[in-house]
Amino acid sequence: MARRIVLPCLASLLLYWTLFGFVLDRPLSLGLFRDQIESSLARGASIQGRKLVLIAGSNGPYSHRCETIEPILDIPCVNAGIAVGIGLDYLFARWRPLLRPGDAVYLPLEEAQYSRPASTLGPDGAIMFRHDRATLATLAPARWAGAAFASGPRGVAMSGIETSLVWSGFLDPRAAMGGERNAWGDRAGHLPSLPGANPGWLALVVPAHESPDRVASGAGTATVAAFLRWAGEHGVAVVGGLPAGFADSPIPAETRAAIAHVFESHGASFIDPGDRARYPRSAFFDSPDHLAEPAQIAHSRLIAAELALILAPVRAASR
Amino acid sequence: MLFHSQIFILAFLPAALAGFFLVGRFLGPVWAMRWLIAASLFFYGWWDPRFLPLLTGSILANHAIAQTIRRLDPVRARWTLIGGIALNLAVLAWFKYADFLLATVAPDTSPLGIALPLAISFFTFQQIVALVDAWRAPDREISLLQTMAYVTFFPHLIAGPLVRPNDILPQLRAPGFEKPNAENLSTGLAIFLLGLGKKLVLADMFGGFADTGFDAAARGETLTFFEAWYATLAYALQIYFDFSGYSDMATGLARTMNIRFPANFDSPYQARDIAAFWRRWHITLGLLLRDYVYIPLGGSRGGAGRATRNLLVTMLLCGLWHGAAWQFVLWGGIHGLFLAAHAMFRRSGRRLPGGIAHALTLTAVVLAWVPFRAPGLPAAWSMFQAMAGVNGIALPTMIVGFLPPLAWIATPVPVLPFLGDARTLSFPEVSACLAFGWLVALALPNTLAMSERARAWTLTASFAFAAQALFFAPRVAPFLYFRF
Repeated sequence: MARRIVLPCLASLLLYWTLFGFVLDRPLSLGLFRDQIESSLARGASIQGRKLVLIAGSNGPYSHRCETIEPILDIPCVNAGIAVGIGLDYLFARWRPLLRPGDAVYLPLEEAQYSRPASTLGPDGAIMFRHDRATLATLAPARWAGAAFASGPRGVAMSGIETSLVWSGFLDPRAAMGGERNAWGDRAGHLPSLPGANPGWLALVVPAHESPDRVASGAGTATVAAFLRWAGEHGVAVVGGLPAGFADSPIPAETRAAIAHVFESHGASFIDPGDRARYPRSAFFDSPDHLAEPAQIAHSRLIAAELALILAPVRAASR
Repeated sequence: MLFHSQIFILAFLPAALAGFFLVGRFLGPVWAMRWLIAASLFFYGWWDPRFLPLLTGSILANHAIAQTIRRLDPVRARWTLIGGIALNLAVLAWFKYADFLLATVAPDTSPLGIALPLAISFFTFQQIVALVDAWRAPDREISLLQTMAYVTFFPHLIAGPLVRPNDILPQLRAPGFEKPNAENLSTGLAIFLLGLGKKLVLADMFGGFADTGFDAAARGETLTFFEAWYATLAYALQIYFDFSGYSDMATGLARTMNIRFPANFDSPYQARDIAAFWRRWHITLGLLLRDYVYIPLGGSRGGAGRATRNLLVTMLLCGLWHGAAWQFVLWGGIHGLFLAAHAMFRRSGRRLPGGIAHALTLTAVVLAWVPFRAPGLPAAWSMFQAMAGVNGIALPTMIVGFLPPLAWIATPVPVLPFLGDARTLSFPEVSACLAFGWLVALALPNTLAMSERARAWTLTASFAFAAQALFFAPRVAPFLYFRF
């Protein structure tokens, strides 16, 4: 039994963890996320005084523009939104050491980020297991197991392909297709004329909305609540918000109320611009969470005006 | 309960095995067999307890018919056998084919909406076999307990292998079958874990690729050449790894309880002619159809014309056994034609070189999977058109940029929308996965043919991925053959 079953199974686990923990990597797909996470953290660390940090899924960089918000609020701004698949617990764990009393965090989270189950496998698991085991060690044990088993056989295939492409000097087409991130961490230049724009699909797609119950009971909500408690104890102002979305598919009022309750029940502020933050489908780039650049700038002005009303007293108090 | 579910692996299997050996040790083999029957009925009822009375009623009725056959004179026994087979087929027809027949003869009538009992094709066929065996060998007595154990034995109850009474009953009667055997336990568990890997790691991965293409065809989307071919090649691998993985799991489970099942798969995609394919694909069904349909119809006696007719009838029934839809009948008919053409070619005395024969056989089998998988005949036709290049050949711009001569045959597009996850790198990703899958199917020995050393190495390569899929995969796909 030991020779036929136990030893091969143990060897298999050891081999798997060695490969995914130390050898295999996905420099193009996960590497892009890592670059985005690390560059936004580096910008946050370089700001000496107060700062505004925007954390969300990909609607953060696509639909919000710190480059626009910063001069309106007169506070240095970092767009630290990455992707829905990157767990909030991971992003909060990375950002907590950089947040100081007086800093502000704006969270226009996607609905799915509230309801995301704790066991969901996202790219963050693979990233942490390969490159950031120190942060992983600070997270819940369920996340260790998830990260330790984050990759399947497709991960092996993609690792080989991506590594080979990088070694062969592959010209990454993504910037040409969908714009690039600027120094603030915003997506910039994502115009409807780029090949990455997808108006045909946007015309047809039916956005999914979460129910109030799923928001209230989601593991993501618990993570946000824990962060709100931490922020309250450390003098960090947190403002909740909503992602931009289709005007013809508004977030149900009950779900909006459930999201607002997450923040307001912990003493945090919440921005709900209502219909003003809903846009025609033609204003989007390639998904219902991604505004194209012109609407991104307009939306950012709207959000900055709302944030100014909330953060002005905080700013006065902190002076 | 699925073999590859957490509840089966972590709760049911340990409890069933421990109970079997403990009851066997303290109460003896008869009680061990009773334990097995109870565990198997629990296993079956877990899925949908509504059908437990049907299963048990079917066993009791068939046992009574078999006992009657054994007692009667040959003429009356023959008529009782015919009545018993007709009864089984009537039950199967009612539950599985009533709506299909209704839709065929009266398309405007609303369907009856009869729920399909799990595994009805499997336990009905096995009991027909038991009736025929009772008629052929009336002096071979089988008790009700043995009949129950033969039909309900959970490793084969849901999706085969289609074992015959003679495959199992002598083993159930063998002294010491209820005692743990370290050799059988370790070999059985190794085979089970390798089957688990086939299902969870390979079949489900290829299933995702296949679904993308076939679902798009069903929606009326226009697939291009590579999208259609990749979906079809992925489905051919999915169904092979899914069903052979299931068979491995069933074989391994039975082995842990000292029962050896007949082989059900023998690297069928390595077959060099279509007849060999059917000797290596779902072997127990093929043998059953040969012995209980083809040969009783006359087999190859009576000339080429009769043999061809018998082949076609057998394969059409084979298709119909797989599902109550014309696409399955078409699939069976296509294979019948392939087999008939192969028989004609063989009679001509000519031979193709091995490589060409293999390629031709594989192409024929893969093409025949299209109507089998497509949700309907229009979708199948749409897939065939796409595979023929009618909708053009498109490749990702990145690939064409890397190999510019491809622009002569392919239109560059940002992504292929119906390939994998429709990402920039989906084309090389799916290509690499398909290459690996076909390498395994075409060049490596199958689980049962592997040496002990090869099994240990394969387990080393696959176990962690199987564990990853079992505990962390976003979804658990049921076995394809659960629907048959």
